Amino acid sequence: MKEKIKELLVKLLRVKPEELKDAVSLQDSIGVDSTEMVETVIALEKNFGIKLNPKEITKFSTINDIEKVILSKSTK
Amino acid sequence: MTKIAVTGIGVVTPSGIGKRQFWANIKAGRSFIKAITRFDASKYPSRIAGQIDDLEKYTHLSERLLKKIDAFSHMALVASELALIDAGIDIKNEDPNLVGIFLGNAIGGWLYAETELRDLYIEGREGVSPYMASAWFPAAPQGQVSIYYGIKGFSKTVVADRASSLMAIGYGRKILGKDKLNMIIAGGMEAPVTPYALLCCNTYGALSKNNARPQEAYRPFDKKRDGCVIGEGSGIIVLEGIERARGRNANIAAYISGYGTSCDGVDRINPALDGVQLARAIDLALNDAGLRPEQIDYISLDGLARQDWDDSEMQALKRVFGERAKKIPLGCPKSMFGNLLGASGVVDIIAAILSMQNGLVPPILNLDTPADSSFNYVTGQSKECEINKALVISRGRGGINSALVIEKP
Repeated sequence: MKEKIKELLVKLLRVKPEELKDAVSLQDSIGVDSTEMVETVIALEKNFGIKLNPKEITKFSTINDIEKVILSKSTK
Repeated sequence: MTKIAVTGIGVVTPSGIGKRQFWANIKAGRSFIKAITRFDASKYPSRIAGQIDDLEKYTHLSERLLKKIDAFSHMALVASELALIDAGIDIKNEDPNLVGIFLGNAIGGWLYAETELRDLYIEGREGVSPYMASAWFPAAPQGQVSIYYGIKGFSKTVVADRASSLMAIGYGRKILGKDKLNMIIAGGMEAPVTPYALLCCNTYGALSKNNARPQEAYRPFDKKRDGCVIGEGSGIIVLEGIERARGRNANIAAYISGYGTSCDGVDRINPALDGVQLARAIDLALNDAGLRPEQIDYISLDGLARQDWDDSEMQALKRVFGERAKKIPLGCPKSMFGNLLGASGVVDIIAAILSMQNGLVPPILNLDTPADSSFNYVTGQSKECEINKALVISRGRGGINSALVIEKP
């Protein structure tokens, strides 16, 4: 799952795979901006077939956090 | 008003990227007008343009940034970088609060906007890139340049049709003259070679339909003219106060010494045929520079290649310069690379500065039979010409007139 999330972010935001760290927030690892977050949330929803509330995934989320949210939504 | 120094030049045009390549091509009188290849333009009445096909070669901007911006911001970023390198300025060493950006643009970033609008109608709201909001509007390049360099000073984007960038430079000079900033990045950018923008330009009726012979299509002031040809690109110059420029031993390319503007106020598109208000804008620029008309030794013309625009421009010259209007060398370099609309004024200023530096005026292409042969148009090939004080004219739809005076250092 983590790899799938990273792959999506790399393709979507055109960042390098090594820039993304499991336990570091998107803000601290790649300096994600607010518009990139909008794009990221839309892409996660589309790719994982889930619906996200605005505060569930933010620029302070790590890859681990994102995985947790997706897993919790997918099992519901 | 105070003279301002031009200390850096960045140019991105179909005739070349960077001032050396640009000058080599316009000096040789080469045309870069050709059939549009970016999209299928076969059904458009005018389907030729000056296009930039190799911008990627000149940029090191990240893909992450490029996906968020329109081509016109990309061009402005490349031109800004070239201008700052030419000026020998590293913005990191400047007080960011005292650096400003003054840019001109006429139509916005339609390559980006069109793609997203198509997605909006096909896929709905969620199909639209969130970057659309910040990519398409005329002030987007100003924002991108400010973010890229961390510039924080007073800045502005001027939207005044084809006169936009000349007005932006005139405005920037005024702010610099009041000592509100240390330096200004000024100029403009335009990317009209897109399906919708080309359609609007066609509807406006000012474009040449000579698709069979693209290189002969743009013929300002010629009897056989049938309109202009659009082009894309950007021109950026670095403006500094003379004392500061001298203090840091900058290479001063030219002084900007006068600026004037006026409105015809007669028609939503066409100019006043009498040239009275354009003449007033020129007079204002000369007065601002503290010059008499007889001191001007070169004029860069707006040259839309439509009878009403061309004739009224010459009427204005007669009003200001009298009989001497027929002796001053006249140039119109855009006949080689297309009319860059909102960016046309700054590119004309850059071409005029290069003419001044090299003592050479590039030819007005395709001006084989002047509608009025009594003027001293430079045609055929470049002509040697000692230029000390030049006038650059830039006009826009709805009767916008602007004129700028540059001087040799």
